[in-house]
Amino acid sequence: MTTARPLAARATLRLAALMALAVTILSLGAMALQYRLVETRMMAAQRSLLTADLDGFAALYDQRRIIALRQAIDYRAAAETGEEMLLLMDRNGAVLAGTLPGWPKGLTPEGDGFAIDGAVEFQDGGARWLAVARELPGGFPLLVARSLHPVDDTLAALRRGMLGLLAAMLVAGGVVGWLAARSVMGRIGRINDLADRVAEGELEARLPGDRSDDEFGLLETHVHGMLDRIQNLNRATHRLSDTIAHELRTPLNRMLQKLSRIEGQEDVTADLKAEMRQAIRMFDSLLDISRAEADQGSGGGLVPVDLSAVALEVWELYEPLAEDKGMVTEAQVQPGLRVLGDRNLIAQMLSNLIDNAIKYCSAGDRLSLLLEDTGDRHLMRVADTGPGLPADIRGEAFERFVRAERDRGIKGHGLGLALVRAIAARHGARMTLPEADIGLVLEIHWPRLQQAE
Amino acid sequence: MGMEERILIVEDDADTAAAVRAEVEALGCSADHCDTLDAGIAAAISTPYKVIVLDRMLPGGDGVEAMARIRAGGSTALILILSALGRAANRVEGLEKGADDYLPKPFEPEELRARLRALLRRGTMQVLDNDLLAFGDLEIRMKARTVHVKRAHVAVSPKEFELIIYFARNAGQVVTRMQLLENVWNLHFDPGTNVVDVHVGRLRRKLEDAGSAAITTARGEGYFFAPLGAAG
Repeated sequence: MTTARPLAARATLRLAALMALAVTILSLGAMALQYRLVETRMMAAQRSLLTADLDGFAALYDQRRIIALRQAIDYRAAAETGEEMLLLMDRNGAVLAGTLPGWPKGLTPEGDGFAIDGAVEFQDGGARWLAVARELPGGFPLLVARSLHPVDDTLAALRRGMLGLLAAMLVAGGVVGWLAARSVMGRIGRINDLADRVAEGELEARLPGDRSDDEFGLLETHVHGMLDRIQNLNRATHRLSDTIAHELRTPLNRMLQKLSRIEGQEDVTADLKAEMRQAIRMFDSLLDISRAEADQGSGGGLVPVDLSAVALEVWELYEPLAEDKGMVTEAQVQPGLRVLGDRNLIAQMLSNLIDNAIKYCSAGDRLSLLLEDTGDRHLMRVADTGPGLPADIRGEAFERFVRAERDRGIKGHGLGLALVRAIAARHGARMTLPEADIGLVLEIHWPRLQQAE
Repeated sequence: MGMEERILIVEDDADTAAAVRAEVEALGCSADHCDTLDAGIAAAISTPYKVIVLDRMLPGGDGVEAMARIRAGGSTALILILSALGRAANRVEGLEKGADDYLPKPFEPEELRARLRALLRRGTMQVLDNDLLAFGDLEIRMKARTVHVKRAHVAVSPKEFELIIYFARNAGQVVTRMQLLENVWNLHFDPGTNVVDVHVGRLRRKLEDAGSAAITTARGEGYFFAPLGAAG
């Protein structure tokens, strides 16, 4: 039970983390798209500025070639905006005009026109530039470049903003997820606690307060509805057994009283009385079975019982019967083994088992009872060397009214083993039918009494 | 029984009440009958009854729940619950809640008679905690837990000793198998097999071997312990 809660918590936390992550990834995608858009737009702007510059220089070159170009570059260089890079050189590598003392490294002039095509990006002075490098006819290298500084600054600012936003979203997602998980956990935990209490037999347990107007409220309403139904069925079972007892036993009682007034036919009346007793035993067993099944798992009504003592008492009650039948008996009962139980039910169960064994065995057969502590459980084993269970009913021997065809001649109603199973289940004991070479071996594994209190 | 004892019957089924009355009168006692719980409680409180035969599922409630009210009202009567709630669990519940005996319906008249006799006797019987119980040749020593017949020791098992004690407490009257199972073995269900017979048979043979025919069978009813030969 205790492992269930961390598991549920993990599930809700996982869900919250997944949601936060999904939202973050989606926003990240949107931001990346915006980033690309801004980058493309700004690059296009720089490119059109560069195109305008080149167009201007081309017009001047058309008029007066290098001279005009040199004047224009000188004039522009004097402005020292830092936003542009201009350089015109002669065929010997001497600077004719420009903002630079020499040709930048890693940049080769290509082509001789003033078109923007073939513009390249390059690094200089820690900044990016969009440059067009040409060699004008006659061997005059020309460099016209625009700084990408404004683009990079804007993009850097955008990136910083996005990173900040991302961090904020992760934190917010985590916090919201944690809060949501905590509230979900709390509400699931309440339902889990309720289920635990019900499983321990507290059928009347309910969640306090009003149901909220959401899925959890609906779930709680459904759980309550189920519990009401279970409780009603359980109550009905209890009431029904009392009613059956009353309604059936009262007329039987009148019959028995009248039977006792018959004189002169003692044998017939004795037979009839025995039949009636048998019928009463039968429906008592049925009621005991349904009552034990209804109470199954509930600790109510169970008290610490000395299992060893009860086992010995029942054994001593039946041992002479077995001896008189010529059977060999043996009991090994470890003293002082205690369980949480109902002494009378345990005695009834063991009496059924031993009585059955004696009924089906013949002279010379062995009957043994073993009770020992096997660590986490107490093992009770009733074994005989009688005819055992026929293979065809082995699977359902513990169902009501199941009897072997072979045993039709032996008195019984086929409820003994069903009652044994119901009583075992009532005590949380496990019942097994180990394979045996001969006879019937039945083991009951009792939960041992926690000695804590 | 000497003076005529009064017994109260609280029972809503007229036929059953008549059957109980017949047994009560056969024992030489007088019977009063109430057919509701409230009338029963009122009668039990106002009249000093020796025994109250109390049903459970009565108009007005459960007889077992009413026992506390009867006791609180000052009644010292011994209470025999006679009820259709006859499963072992019901019986144990009734006894735990203070009933002196619990007989499930349907009951055989002989069983009821034996129970009533035991209760009537319990009220008058002298305390039996003196060490020696002597029935002529048969002597039972409580502390030493020994049985002697004609001064010769008879070896009995612990259960057989308890059995003979129960017989001795009810000497001279019929005790039924059900009574033995309930009082000697403290088991409140019908085991279906007459497992008690084997134990009584063994004890009886031991006594007979020693020369005492104290235990006899009361046909169709149970056993009779009459060590002084007063059987009849």
